Amino acid sequence: MSVLDKITQLQEEALERIGKADSLDSLNDIQIAYLGRKGLITSVLKSLKDLPNDQRKEVGASANKARAALDNLIKEKKENFSGGKKLSAFDPTLPGTQTQSGVVHIITQVIEDICNTFHGMGFEIARGPNVETDYYNFEALNFPPDHPARDMQDTMFVEHDRLLRTHTTPVQSRFLETHKPPIKIITPGICFRNEAISTRSHVAFHQVDGFVVDEGVTMADMKGAILAFCKAFFSEDVKLKFRPSFFPFTEPSAEVDISCFLCSGKGCRVCKYAGWLEILGCGMIDPNVLEKAGIDSERYTGYAFGMGVERPAMLKYKINDIRLFFNNDTRFLRQFK
Amino acid sequence: MKISYKWLIELTGLDWNPEELGDRLTLCGTACEYIEPADQYMQSVIVGEILAINKIEGADKIRLATVNLGERQLDVVCGAPNIEVGLKVPVATLGAKLDGGIVIKKAKIRGIESEAMICSERELGLSDEHAGILVIDSSATPGQELSELLGYKDDFMLTFELTPNRPDSMSAVGIARDMAALASIKVNKPQFELTESNEKASDYIKVAIEDKTACPRYAARIIKNVTIGESPYWLKKKLILSGIRPISNVVDITNLVMLELGQPLHAFDYDRFGSKEVVVRMAKEKEHFKSLDGADHELTPEVLLITNGKDAVAAGGVMGGFDSEVESDTKNILLEAAYFNASMIRKSRRQLGFVTESSQRFEKGADPNIIEYAIDYAASLMQSLCGGEVLSGIVDCYPNIIEPLKIKFRPKRCNDIIGTELSSDKMKQIFEDLEFSVTGDSDFEVTVPTFRPDIEREIDLIEEISRIIGFENIPASNTNIGSLYTPIHYEDKFKKETRTVLTSVGFDEFISHGLADSKLANILHTERPQLNIANPISEDLNIMRNCLLQTALTVIHHNVSHRSLDLSIFEIGKTYLPPDEKDYWAEDESLVLAVTGNTQHTWREKPRPRDFYDITGAMEALAEHFGWGEFSFSPKEFSFFEKEISFEVLLQGKVCGLIGKINPKVAKKAGIKQDVFAAELNFDYLLSLSNKLIAFKELPIYPAALRDLAMIVKEDIKAGELIQQVKKSAGKIAESVEIFDLYQGKQIEKGKKSIAISISYRSKDSSLEISQVDAAQKKVVDSLVKNFNVEIRDK
Repeated sequence: MSVLDKITQLQEEALERIGKADSLDSLNDIQIAYLGRKGLITSVLKSLKDLPNDQRKEVGASANKARAALDNLIKEKKENFSGGKKLSAFDPTLPGTQTQSGVVHIITQVIEDICNTFHGMGFEIARGPNVETDYYNFEALNFPPDHPARDMQDTMFVEHDRLLRTHTTPVQSRFLETHKPPIKIITPGICFRNEAISTRSHVAFHQVDGFVVDEGVTMADMKGAILAFCKAFFSEDVKLKFRPSFFPFTEPSAEVDISCFLCSGKGCRVCKYAGWLEILGCGMIDPNVLEKAGIDSERYTGYAFGMGVERPAMLKYKINDIRLFFNNDTRFLRQFK
Repeated sequence: MKISYKWLIELTGLDWNPEELGDRLTLCGTACEYIEPADQYMQSVIVGEILAINKIEGADKIRLATVNLGERQLDVVCGAPNIEVGLKVPVATLGAKLDGGIVIKKAKIRGIESEAMICSERELGLSDEHAGILVIDSSATPGQELSELLGYKDDFMLTFELTPNRPDSMSAVGIARDMAALASIKVNKPQFELTESNEKASDYIKVAIEDKTACPRYAARIIKNVTIGESPYWLKKKLILSGIRPISNVVDITNLVMLELGQPLHAFDYDRFGSKEVVVRMAKEKEHFKSLDGADHELTPEVLLITNGKDAVAAGGVMGGFDSEVESDTKNILLEAAYFNASMIRKSRRQLGFVTESSQRFEKGADPNIIEYAIDYAASLMQSLCGGEVLSGIVDCYPNIIEPLKIKFRPKRCNDIIGTELSSDKMKQIFEDLEFSVTGDSDFEVTVPTFRPDIEREIDLIEEISRIIGFENIPASNTNIGSLYTPIHYEDKFKKETRTVLTSVGFDEFISHGLADSKLANILHTERPQLNIANPISEDLNIMRNCLLQTALTVIHHNVSHRSLDLSIFEIGKTYLPPDEKDYWAEDESLVLAVTGNTQHTWREKPRPRDFYDITGAMEALAEHFGWGEFSFSPKEFSFFEKEISFEVLLQGKVCGLIGKINPKVAKKAGIKQDVFAAELNFDYLLSLSNKLIAFKELPIYPAALRDLAMIVKEDIKAGELIQQVKKSAGKIAESVEIFDLYQGKQIEKGKKSIAISISYRSKDSSLEISQVDAAQKKVVDSLVKNFNVEIRDK
């Protein structure tokens, strides 16, 4: 009898015995008899080294196959005797291992969102100092000294005759002085007002201003750009309302309301049942501002706009207290991962 | 500003409902913020006639009044002293909601059922008067609604939020003018008749203006023999719905004319004026003035005064004087209508420290040419309502007449700027509707009335066209203007990547406004100057921070006091210094990193305190990301760090920041009772390094040989020094040298530590022979023994 035949015979014999086995003990006996250290199949495997090289591989494979088949069958049969399938001890419900990541401040996220949208429309980012001169913050922007318009922006002054910028618009004054049209800029940054800190107002807030100067720029271009931004940033079906207003550095000037993106203009608590949310101010850059920066206001026209960052963030994320942004409570910050 | 809805309807004859009126005005730039029913405190208040008054047993102050309410009678408990049988009074019945939050409900007062209340003016929102109940005209019918009787029914109080450039809309006629322009009609301005007596006003008063810039025009009228009394209800109502308290007929008339026409007036008691001469001049230094409210003011030459030639009788355009005030016994009136320079009034009222209805109008810019109309209108009302006798003529001092401005206007330019295709005729129509006159065909010359001082240039006229046609009628363009390529500045990219790296290693970003407390700054960088806020909102926000460490401590304090004890945080932000001698204002950007508390506790990993190495780890992550090379640390004492753990940070040979453990005393002063480690780096320097492109390195072809080396060294020998030595001794074939174990404890002699290093040897040219590796390793061991006296441990 060849070794291969012997393996087949042993396997059949074992299968028969397994089939007849009626207890865990008898199965254990069969396991030891065939697969144990001195078992019959094991001995075949041990004797492989005595075989000629050309048979070794084939016999080895066959013996291993038989061994595996018997082993599986015995295990399966054992489960029947030990009362059903044994449950795995592996627990996939334990929390996964992760490196705890941090969070980018919500204001940074919102500014980035706004800037990305404008970047897509061809605007470039410009920045300027937070401690400003009266000239760039007011005078270059057509606020005459001692004018009531200055009362609209309660100013915080620092020593040495400077002030904390009350808007990011002074970046516009600086940029216009040093660049020639065409100009298409947005200016994100922090600003300060001398206001008491409460749930609704803060001494500091962020703003994104933008301005475009070129030949033939019209209010229609301004409306188009603001509409495009609001669609991208708020929602595709947003509606806009332009109300005439007053800013010393633009003429004509407008305030822009958007249809409330929470209730689609039907009226809700956030929009105070008006259906509209005041979102930004804009206008055609006043010729005086262009002239002060040495730009020919007959040849070039432009528009400018400015919006707060905290306010739309509060609306979008239903944040009810502006102080949360600067408190930097990690329980707050981590909600915006 | 507040104005009655019916008043505007009266002036325009338009049939717009209040909401429509509010919306249309808002869309042309006269923003209507609130619309409130005028009779909000008069709902369920009806006219009652007092039929009987009976005492209530055991009560002195309250009595029981039986009132006839037309269809029924009611007993009402009343505490007012002025009730009398036969009087008509306002009775608030069940459900009435009165001013001050009083709601009429059934109640028992002294055992008597009462379900109504007889009201004073205050409860009805009519005035502050509440000494007695309001007595209504005897012609009123019991049961009639009070709001109907007084004309408040169907009227509304409109609140306008006006922009500072539009002084003309600070009046009923001014707002009506915008309505008229929108509807292309004319305003029905008040019409009146005035009969002058034979006596000449100029015999009673002279006017002299010393400062003609501050006061370009001063006009006066004399009204004799007035009877001071209450104003009629229609007049009071107009004042009340504008938020002005009725005082007496003469004063009310001056206020009415101001509200209607925008021209502030002042009535002096002629007999108390003190002379027959008005002299308008600037105050003298330390001159005194007692204002209407009885307050005494010490003045500076910034205040404009109306004087009687000697003493101040009024602060021109701001407030009248105490001594010449109209009183109940006043007989003769000196009526003033003047035009004051806007910025002069602004200075005056700042100096005096109050804002009045009058100063608000003057400082935005009144109309110098409405004065005759306004003073005549007021005089005619004093004639008809106060029985006064108006003397002949206006004593008018107007040395330099202010002419309306003429402005060139190009219709094409207008269309070019607003992006429309309006016809010239349409534009002409709009100007005429706004009461501007226009000459010329292709290009216009527009004459702007003096009530619109805000219009000085063509662009201002263009704005008028745009707001009257309505911004909603300007198309929104669909084309993009500008260049095809928009750069992203490296600074923005760098900041974004820095945030990404730091958040990925577990640091949360915080943002501060930069206002800080000098008390904390004083114990940080003691030598660094501080930039003070001149008008801080509070003592603890009185400087701009001069380092970011301070705000990091503030944020940690906030969090630990809210029981968030485990923190890894960073900020990229500006620090501020006062100007240097070259007037350079440093506004530098820093990066601060701070950790405190423990690491996260999970089922697999036990927490450990966050420390120095959590910060240097984050710094290494940045260095690796940006390809900066290695940070190094050189010991340097900073007073706010613990002595032992206080270093300067170097990168590429330059000092670029500091790192250490916050001195517990400093932490305690910042309100923190746990260990804090922090680093502050010069962000501008890091930014300057980071413009490098990564160059690909060939992958290794030949295998590496790894050797470990465990040694015992004195504890003050730094791991970095050992690594440097190893690299130096092993030469080019040392590919990497890593610390993989550090131990100090029982098995090691005190004052020493055990360090284990793993060295990877590799050549890029060939497979290394064992002998080569052994030789290199021997050189390493020898040099360590020689230089650091290390004791090599057995494997």
